[in-house]
Order: sequence, then C-alpha cells, then structure tokens
Amino acid sequence: MSMVARDVMDTRFHLLHPQDTLSKAVEMFQTASREENKRIFGLMVVDENDRLVGMLSMYDILLFIQPKHLRIWSEMEDLDLDRLFTDLLERARGIQVGDIMTTEVVTIRPDAHLLAISDIMVKKHVRRLPVTENGRIIGIVYISSLFYQMLSQFLPPQGRTPW
Amino acid sequence: MVVVRQRSVLAGLRVREVMRRRVIRLPGQATLSQCINQLVKNKISALLVVDEEDNPLGVVSKTDLIGAFYAGLALDTGVDAILAGEPLFCFPDDSLESAIDLMHGKGIHRLYVIGADDRRILGKLAYPDIVALLYRYCRTCPNSTVHGRRSATAGADEQRLRVDEVMTAGVLSCPLQTSLAEVVEQLTAHRFGAIVLADGSGAARGVISKSDLVLAYKHGVGLDQPAAAVMQTPVLSCDRDDLLTTALQQMLLKDVQRLYVHHGQPTRLVGVLSLSDSVRFRSGSCRACISGRLIAGE
Repeated sequence: MSMVARDVMDTRFHLLHPQDTLSKAVEMFQTASREENKRIFGLMVVDENDRLVGMLSMYDILLFIQPKHLRIWSEMEDLDLDRLFTDLLERARGIQVGDIMTTEVVTIRPDAHLLAISDIMVKKHVRRLPVTENGRIIGIVYISSLFYQMLSQFLPPQGRTPW
Repeated sequence: MVVVRQRSVLAGLRVREVMRRRVIRLPGQATLSQCINQLVKNKISALLVVDEEDNPLGVVSKTDLIGAFYAGLALDTGVDAILAGEPLFCFPDDSLESAIDLMHGKGIHRLYVIGADDRRILGKLAYPDIVALLYRYCRTCPNSTVHGRRSATAGADEQRLRVDEVMTAGVLSCPLQTSLAEVVEQLTAHRFGAIVLADGSGAARGVISKSDLVLAYKHGVGLDQPAAAVMQTPVLSCDRDDLLTTALQQMLLKDVQRLYVHHGQPTRLVGVLSLSDSVRFRSGSCRACISGRLIAGE
C-alpha cells in the first residue's frame, strides 16, 4: 500500500484569486463540489503567477458574516434575525477573497508520508493540504482520502477498496 | 461621617471580566497586506506587532494604515515600517473605571492587558466589549422594559436615556465627489473615524469610514478616486428620540463603531453616537441606575 501524498492527492481542483468577490467564491464552492464530485469546504487561492497565496474555507466566510458580539444575540428573543442577516450579508458585498483568506498556509511535498501529513492535519486542525513541487501546486490532500487510505485495513475484507 | 457617592454601573468591575482573551498579533516582517487581512478577517481596528519571543513591539491601527495609504507605501512593505509607539498596557486586576479613564485621557481606543509578573499578553480591552457588557447589564436590570415586562418603577420610561442626551451634535460631511486623499486629510484633521457624503441639497447619501479606506488601499483603489466609489450606503442612523438601548443594540449587532442620528427625515443628520460616547456615559442607559445605585461609604 502506498503511503505518500502523491498516492492520495486529488489532481483535479478549483482555484480562487485574491480579487474575487465573496459571492464569486460561494459560486466556486458549488461548482467545485459538483465537478469534483465531493463536498468542498476549502479552496486554494493563487495570484496571477499561479503562486499559492492563501486558502479560503467556508469557515472563514461564516466567521466573517457572523456579528462579533454573538453572546448578546443569544439573549434576545425580540429580534428580527432574518432582517439582521440580510444587513450582515450586505456588509460582505465589498469584501474580496484576499481580505479574509488564511495567508499562512502549510504545504506538503508529493513524497510526504501519510503519517507526517496526518500529524500536521491533527495538530494544526486543517482538513486539506496543498501539495506543491518547485513552487507549483500539483494537487491537494483531503483528510477523507488520507483517512480511508490509512485505515482501509481496518475494514472487513469484502469492504476494502482495491487500491 | 456618611458621604453618599454616586456609583456607576461599571464600578467594581475588573479588567479581566471585560477583556477579550484573543489578541491578534503579527511579526514585524508581516506585510501591510497581511495586516489588513487580519484586521478585516477578525473585525478589529488594530493589532499587536510582536518579536520572536512574543514581546510587544508596537500597535498598528487602521489610522496608521491609512497614513501608509496616503504616503503611497507599497502593500508588501513590512508592518514594522509604520509601527506607532509602545502600546499602552493595563493589568487584569485593574478596575475597569481606571482603565477607561486611561483610554479617555490618552485618546486611545484599546489597552492591552498583561500579567503583572511575567509581562505576558493576556488580553485586550476595547470599547465595543465594554459597551456590550453595559448593554447586557441593562437588559437584565429589573427596571428594564426591553423584555416588554411592566416596569417595577413607575415612570421608568422617562428615566431611560434617549439618544440626543448622549450623542455628539453636528456631523462632518463632504460632497460625493471628494477624493479619497481629501477624505484622509479631513479625517486626520478632525480625528474622526468616518465622514458623511452629502449631495448638493445636503442630504446624506453615504458614509466612508477608516475601514472603507483600508479596504480601498488593499483593493488598489487610487487616492484620486471619488469617495462615492467606496462609500457605504445607506448611512446607518437612528432617530434622536430613540432610546439609547435601542441604538446600542443596533451598533452591537451590526458591528459598527458609530450610528448617525437623524431628526425627522433619515437623510437629515443632526449628530453622531459613537461607542466611546456611550462608554463615557458610564451610568448605563437609564437614570434609574444613577438614583438607584447610591451607596453609602465613609
């Protein structure tokens, strides 16, 4: 059984640019999920030279939409939440991907061992890691691909995927 | 001898009860672009720049970034190039009152909280969090009418503060075609956080704040562009006869630092209510507190 990044990485992926609007990003999440045939929760962001400059996750967007003083919200029963939510979305209209993306991105090499990758994912609480070679993105490892590759031998024999 | 001392809502509270524990920090080599990313992402107005050992080197605020925008600094410049002086500190055991006094006295919007012994950074104290606490306090007060309950005190409604008692009268406004460079100059000259943009008839059409300027800088908008290109519409406002609690609620829910105050028509602005105004009015949002919370001491 192969135990390096190259064997489990997805080589089909969708990308965002820092100048894209958040609405474009939401659209890209949908497109990526459809075309890659899996639920996509995070996308890589590249500059005009295809250099990786960040990652944008659904979590980043939700966190931005959320008001800061959430504790007060939960104490109010007399609040028109729908109306408020519309206002909050309106605020996000002028925001670009580069404004809220995570800029500190850990990348791995194609020959990185799965144990090393799982260590990074667990310690840094990330579920996807871009795979780069000579500064170029060649794939992305999702925690689910890594999980099934590593733990497939736990499955009963007939349930094993023939990797 | 017994003296009666007025006790404000915030009396007795310590900094540690109000501070936010998450302090966003960056190393000095981080770029201005990364700095803006952190401010926008975390909805904060300033962050702490630290060295390798997490020792504070200084603060970078939206005001400093606007200065960099105005000076034409490239976005990949290191934040250490625009570091303002030493940050101001307080301790977790300090009384909230004394911390607020320090903030008012120095004209700053935040204090960093450090440990008395090891000088470790423990948190940050800022106006929005203080107002949020004040607001929650008022909501749970037995005299509060927010929940629709009948008030315990007769005539409690007359006791509750209205916006025009706390607001700053007068509004700074500029024509819609004012350039971003001029907006920066106006904000700096008046030490304001935002400026209203009005049309020929004097009606407010939008507002441009430091946040909008910082975003314009990051998005590569030129200083010669008209303010109308990046302003926020509509202007968030309340009526001057509104209850202070209603206005505070709006500010907190919408994460804004200020609410404009209109009278009659929403486009006729007569003043502005800022979070710092509300904190200066420490007695809460109702007169019941001032009269009701007198304590006797020696």
